[in-house]
Amino acid sequence: MSLPREAYEALAGVVGERYISAEEYILAGNRVKTPEVPFTYHSADAIVLPENTAQVQEIVRICNRYNICFVPLVSGVSAEAFANRAGTILIQLSRMNKIVEINEIDRYAVVEPGVRHVQLYPELRRRGLSYTAAAVGPGGSVLANFTSSSGDHHNQHNASRSNRYLLGVEMVLPDGAIVRTGSLASGAGWFCPDGPGPGLRGIMKGYFGNHGQLGIITRIAIGLNPCNGTAEIESEGISPFHKVRMPDPCSRVYVFNFSHIHDVRDAMLRIGEAEIAATVMKYFYLPATLMMTNSANEFWEKWPKYKEILKMPLVVHLAPRSEEELAYEEKILFEIVEETHGRRIPREIESWWDDHMDFFMIVSRLQSVLRLGGGWMPNKLAAESVSHICEIGRSIGDFIHDFTDTGKLFDAPENYQIIPMEYGHFAHIELLIMWDRTNPAAGKGVGEFRMRSRNNDIENHYHAETPGSLNASMMQIGPLYCNSHEWLRRIKESFDPSNIANPLM
Amino acid sequence: MDKLKKHEYSMDSCNHCGQCKWILPPKMSGWDFAEVCPIHHYHQFDSYSGQGLLNISKEVLTGRLKIGEGLEKVLYSCTMCGACDVNCKNVRDIEVIETIQALRELCVREGEIPAHLREMDQRLEQSGNIYGKSADDSFAWLPEDYADDENADTILFVGCSAYTHPEIALAAIKIMRAGGVKFKLLREERCCGGSLWRGGLEESAGRIIRENMYLFREHGVKRIITACGECFGAFRAIYPRFGEMDIEVKHISQIALELLRDGKIGLKSAEKPMKVTYHDPCMLGRLSETYVHWEGEIKPFGLHMPEKQWRRGFGGVYSEPRELINAIDGVELVEMPRNREDAYCCAYHSRETDPDMSAFAAAERRREAMSTGAEMIVSCCPFCIEALGDSETECCDLCVLLAAHLEEGGGV
Repeated sequence: MSLPREAYEALAGVVGERYISAEEYILAGNRVKTPEVPFTYHSADAIVLPENTAQVQEIVRICNRYNICFVPLVSGVSAEAFANRAGTILIQLSRMNKIVEINEIDRYAVVEPGVRHVQLYPELRRRGLSYTAAAVGPGGSVLANFTSSSGDHHNQHNASRSNRYLLGVEMVLPDGAIVRTGSLASGAGWFCPDGPGPGLRGIMKGYFGNHGQLGIITRIAIGLNPCNGTAEIESEGISPFHKVRMPDPCSRVYVFNFSHIHDVRDAMLRIGEAEIAATVMKYFYLPATLMMTNSANEFWEKWPKYKEILKMPLVVHLAPRSEEELAYEEKILFEIVEETHGRRIPREIESWWDDHMDFFMIVSRLQSVLRLGGGWMPNKLAAESVSHICEIGRSIGDFIHDFTDTGKLFDAPENYQIIPMEYGHFAHIELLIMWDRTNPAAGKGVGEFRMRSRNNDIENHYHAETPGSLNASMMQIGPLYCNSHEWLRRIKESFDPSNIANPLM
Repeated sequence: MDKLKKHEYSMDSCNHCGQCKWILPPKMSGWDFAEVCPIHHYHQFDSYSGQGLLNISKEVLTGRLKIGEGLEKVLYSCTMCGACDVNCKNVRDIEVIETIQALRELCVREGEIPAHLREMDQRLEQSGNIYGKSADDSFAWLPEDYADDENADTILFVGCSAYTHPEIALAAIKIMRAGGVKFKLLREERCCGGSLWRGGLEESAGRIIRENMYLFREHGVKRIITACGECFGAFRAIYPRFGEMDIEVKHISQIALELLRDGKIGLKSAEKPMKVTYHDPCMLGRLSETYVHWEGEIKPFGLHMPEKQWRRGFGGVYSEPRELINAIDGVELVEMPRNREDAYCCAYHSRETDPDMSAFAAAERRREAMSTGAEMIVSCCPFCIEALGDSETECCDLCVLLAAHLEEGGGV
């Protein structure tokens, strides 16, 4: 154990012997590299499982005392949730798992880090409420969803991305001080994220961290949306053949295929202008096929057909509150699609969506991208106007074929999704690349591809990519965003002069 | 190590998504009763989970972790319930439980065998049953007037639990007699071998399994009926690993439902209205799908050549026990949130190796059962019955419940 004995004992004094370990077989559970990352992590020196904010505060103070780096995590699904360098402990927040409050009147919920989507989502539905769940699967942390990811999600067309719903945080800073933001700071509760009190939301919420982290968020409040689905989720069947139907008649899913991204753009903008539909997304065709199949072999059987039928699919979910509204929305939708040259896909494929329409279900089915064995990597992840984002999507074809045609990447050049938000005021793009991780040459091509993709964005002045979590990528992308990397570095140094809060590579 | 190596693809394909630890979304019911992995639920460290054990397996394979340095503590805390496996396979083509099994077998080959398994192995060697009871006592519970149908090619395999829970075997006999099923008992039957095999003692388990298979052939057995979920799962999911298993295997609930549908047995009303909940035993449910050996190549992007028949938990026995319970007038079945393929394990099999976790898991399952408003837990496995029943919680085997409600005319 490289952790000083005194430090270990001090940490054990905080959480109790049961909730700390430096045993190799315990550390192993959090150090093996996952298929999508190109490097091997260090081993943490210990893992501690605090129970509350006071314990987190004590742990952070001990880390300062002994100059130990710390990385907070919950589920460990993120590539940032590992020890990046020697002399690091992991602070796993899974025991801090209370739903502190659900306020049905003011529509907000307060949760601790360990609360998972699969726990909060049904509690809210029961109360006629919902929230914006990003694509990380049922065991993902709700708090991490709102504070540590891009926050884009499938049904943001008539809503917005997750970080817009963050009403306030309680945070242990790298020196152990506790900060509460927005209205919470003045004891007025969780209702408002911006004052009176410090408005840290902008700097705290880097998509992938600000040269690391600025502390450990121990509680958040999130704004909630109304949910017009059933209170209980009715499912039938045994895994993997579950079906979950949304209530008829006010739930319809239509899937259209388009020939050109410009037509998709026009359809998106017009649907937004008409302010109809709950969900609109130009979906990735590779995950769409994977979600509809139950093994890699079945995928390979269907892919030749599906990649044509779903080449540029626009998925539209209508969820109005009455049959009259439904008839109206359908009429408008069909007119728009006809005028923008879309075609409905065959019903036998489209109907799959009827049985899985709850978007949380779709989020969890999206995990099936790993059915092909990894590697995979999301790219771009930026948000801009619908037109700009669609242009970025179009330009992918200018360079990706050098990689897909040569076997360096999976041959799916159109595998990007564009999801408008706030009725088409903005849109998000994600390009999902996959490669054969058993082929070292393909693995090397990933870095080359990312560089080409980034250079293409820089040359064309595209706002296509959020600064990544690695310092190197921040240095390259930062100048495109008003030298954001410099500002972020200064903020990080101000909050964390010892650089112990999840220092990145 | 070769067997573990075969699962390296699975180890490398895990991305820590956590689906092995949490209930599948179609089954989610709220904050409570959302964890499906008992060891992770209790210990909270990721090593205690399907994902963690995949990581550990990878490090054993690459030599970073050595067997004998404490990892057995995690490995044998695992109840081998398979919830991680089924949940992972909802969206992946990964063998989680098979990898854990291969790691256990490696541990055993390297001499790291938990004491209680070593002792069980010895008892089985000496007596043929896990309790070490004398063979003379093996069928002492049979009524004097019981007689086999000598020419029957169907057997009732009573299993080791007949020593501790003879009422289950007696109830099964009563049901089959009432329905006119021709069957016999094999007095020479030995333990099914499931507990040993799942403990990683492949060689010892194989010896017993082959002895039983030889016995079945000698007696011309064409169909095995068992009232024990553990034995049922062993015959379907373990025996085919040791040779051709061309014998039909049925659980008593499947037989009883057939008899009921054919009008060969009837069920009378309960004396008073009662709510019960049903606990799915792992080896009757998600782990009982027939094992089909696969040998082949995994091509790029997951293509398995030849095509693999995946065991995803779909083919377990789930509906028959429920239909039978519902067929008793006055008995209302209420479901626990974690049911069928997502049932929460009773953790009986970790009693010796991780008693605190095992007690926690059983208490958790009792709490879930009682949260439904049920007055009784019904199950189909003697180990589950032992784990879940306590002074405040009535737990009853399905056979016993059915036998108590058989209409007149049936019986031994």
